[in-house]
Amino acid sequence: MSPRAVAEHEVQRILALVPWIVAHPGSTKTELAQRFGITETQLEDDLALVLMIGVPPYAGGDYVDVEEDDDGRVTIRLADYFRRPLRLTPAEGLALLAAGRALLSVPGSDPSGPLATALDQLEAALDVPEMIVEVGEPPFLHAVREATTRHERLDVDYWSAGRDELTRREIDPLTVFYAMGAWYLSAYCHRVEGERMFRVDRIRGVRATGTHFDPPEPSPADEPARVFNPRPDDPMVTLRLRPSAAWVAESYPTESVTERADGTLDVVLVVSEPAWLERLVLSLGPDAEVIAPADRQGLAAAAAARVLGRYRDPARYEDGMRGKNDRRDSHGV
Amino acid sequence: MADAPGRVERVLNLLAMLLDTRRPLPREEIVRDVAGYPSEVSANRRAFERDKEMLRGMGVPITVEELPGETVEVGYRVRPEEYYLPDLALSAEETAALRVAVNAISLGSASAEGALMKLGGLEGASEAPIASLPLVPSLATLFDAFRRRAPVTFDYRGERRTVEPWGVTSKRGHWYVVGYDYAREAVRSFRADRVDGDVEVGAPGTFDAPDDFRPDDHVEERAWMFGDDEPVPVAVLVDAGYLDGALAVLGDDVIVEKHPDGRATVTVPVVDTTGFRVVVLGFLEHAEVLRPPDVRAEIVTWLEQQT
Repeated sequence: MSPRAVAEHEVQRILALVPWIVAHPGSTKTELAQRFGITETQLEDDLALVLMIGVPPYAGGDYVDVEEDDDGRVTIRLADYFRRPLRLTPAEGLALLAAGRALLSVPGSDPSGPLATALDQLEAALDVPEMIVEVGEPPFLHAVREATTRHERLDVDYWSAGRDELTRREIDPLTVFYAMGAWYLSAYCHRVEGERMFRVDRIRGVRATGTHFDPPEPSPADEPARVFNPRPDDPMVTLRLRPSAAWVAESYPTESVTERADGTLDVVLVVSEPAWLERLVLSLGPDAEVIAPADRQGLAAAAAARVLGRYRDPARYEDGMRGKNDRRDSHGV
Repeated sequence: MADAPGRVERVLNLLAMLLDTRRPLPREEIVRDVAGYPSEVSANRRAFERDKEMLRGMGVPITVEELPGETVEVGYRVRPEEYYLPDLALSAEETAALRVAVNAISLGSASAEGALMKLGGLEGASEAPIASLPLVPSLATLFDAFRRRAPVTFDYRGERRTVEPWGVTSKRGHWYVVGYDYAREAVRSFRADRVDGDVEVGAPGTFDAPDDFRPDDHVEERAWMFGDDEPVPVAVLVDAGYLDGALAVLGDDVIVEKHPDGRATVTVPVVDTTGFRVVVLGFLEHAEVLRPPDVRAEIVTWLEQQT
């Protein structure tokens, strides 16, 4: 953090800390440090600084008074102007509501518990109606979440969109999470003998196996980020984007983004699935160009030629038209 | 780093003075009384401006008022009623529930933690989040305008739009602002991450959204339905095995005709053919537009220019 950001963070913390101690006299330093996510040494530094706050004419009684007893209990007096914390900024109010409403809309949350009542109060204070956050509920979400919590092996039917096949496999569900608008299940798949990511909305059937499995050590990694965690051997591709396609750099995880003098962006992406890159460049058209590696530069042209082939192949086209004509005949249109 | 502690002390004393005063204070008086300001005029002016900017950046409402007198001079103060967080009367249990929510939902910003700190509830172990719903920077401004009933103006899909924000909502992983579009004279939804550049905010208290307004009812997620023209039916031939995937993308508002060979013709209402092209190309060579001929020709032209 820059010195300025450090200073700002410290000001914000002290402006939250002082009103809390004013309202809860006698809190111990241990409690306070824990509550505000700092060490006791940091807390002592903060309190030493608070002693230096005063108002004109800066006589004896114009300074904030911080007292600490032998048991480490802290009391603050003469800080009337800091008796309440600063109101929430728009970003803070939004973030609190967004997180709260998102969690409350996850199936299985208690719709009348403390989170719900806290959000009602918060919305009333901010003078806004209930924020609607929809995270969806694919049919087998509840089943896989239950199995994940209980460490129960499942027998599932899964439809792979990329390969277009329905497969049956036994999986050990490890974590379930929502990212990029869909629910994902990370699980050990016994069919491929490895950890795989499944989209919950592509699970077409779930059967309990009655088998309990021992989960591996939990990884400290941020689960939603793992949706796109590439395998180490996945290739890196550099895309050059015109400004009108700059949203790509914000919508997908990138290794690096470099703005060039002419306003175009060079974006380095890890590409696990070649078809994904083909879809992206075909839809972007002239707004994007594959720069590296050299053997991918022709990717868009090759994909375009393949799709065009379909439009130019009369046999396949006729088949489709016949379908249409059949219907027209049978309906007598 | 070296001057950070001195700066913190100075900023806190500045804020204490501005909150404690009953009258607006001129800069000269502030920099004279608050410890830590340099004595040289241009230097203390710069230092004061920087401190003021830091406080405002944190959301401190510093007001500027004209001082009585012969010369035009301004004074500064912070009105306590505008500064103080109203008592939300949250129980310890409720604060804890908010803390759990902030830990469980990854928003890609530290704002929620800042809010928790003000509510005195940052403590506790954090678990891995179960959902990720990143907030884009423009959203805080749009949310604030919605809250204060102020119209907003921004660039969107290459056009300047002025909108009464009637709601902010999230669907399928995207955040939307929904409201009354002045030029369209109708309710429209806008994806917050596609709002281009800065959002201009108009006068607060300008409008009232209808009482029963639900923003999620108006969120159009289908990019090919964006726009104001009448939709035209577009027929797409989908290869065997791809129908499931196609329907997942195209939604329920379609007519499906299955062919004996396993393929299917899906007829979709389309307003924006450019938006629809992206969807069809998403199936690569496994789908093709059959008709109308102009939409089919548009895709062929688009592909030809890439070969």
